[in-house]
Amino acid sequence: MSRVSFSCTMQEGQVADDVRAELADGLRRITADVLGEAPGDIPVDFSDIPIGFGFRGGEPSTTSLVRGSIVGGVTQDVREDLMRRICDMWMELSGCTVDELVVSARDA
Amino acid sequence: MPYYRCVVPKDSVPYDQRAEVAKAFTDIHCGSTGAPRSFVHVVFDEHDDRWDTPYFLDGGNRAGRPEELKAQLLNDLMSAFREITGVSSDEFSGRITEGPASWTMEGGMVLPEPGEETAEWYEHDLQGQAAAGG
Repeated sequence: MSRVSFSCTMQEGQVADDVRAELADGLRRITADVLGEAPGDIPVDFSDIPIGFGFRGGEPSTTSLVRGSIVGGVTQDVREDLMRRICDMWMELSGCTVDELVVSARDA
Repeated sequence: MPYYRCVVPKDSVPYDQRAEVAKAFTDIHCGSTGAPRSFVHVVFDEHDDRWDTPYFLDGGNRAGRPEELKAQLLNDLMSAFREITGVSSDEFSGRITEGPASWTMEGGMVLPEPGEETAEWYEHDLQGQAAAGG
């Protein structure tokens, strides 16, 4: 069982279904590169917030949240490298802007 | 961050009230902490499972603010929710949990600790609002 997992929450209609497998693969590959975790063991789940149920700044939101739970004790440089690579990958595959993405890497 | 998740029974809070709560929470959070508006996330999660109360506010904020401010913030948010939705006090409970700012990247930047926000961070918020049409 991996010590790392990801929970991805997106606004309905913002990330196409056929992109999600690629996003999951990207998360696993980056985590393996940065943290040395076996990519096949890393759980990734996706959920959608229905239209009209998500807001940002008081307005309807288009933002996706990628919440990682990682093994504790990594340096801030490593944590930041992980989050930045995830940001870059997610923007490239989903087409979202940097302002439509929140990434966290929290100690488990 | 901040991230406020309102757990509510199915079909209990119509869109107009959800939008009003989202605006109120944004006003309260920003008025209390000085955080940029575009960093305030509010979501509604319709849940058939019972929590301790049918309605529940599950908030997540950056750690490092004074206890009095955190308590007042939670109280103000819950009061606004009750006023807008008409939900009674005994039907509604809430909490705000906290985590280090450095564990989150938003807008391509690692979040600053409370009180360590830079002009660049606020400038980025303005750019984000403009891009969103806000």
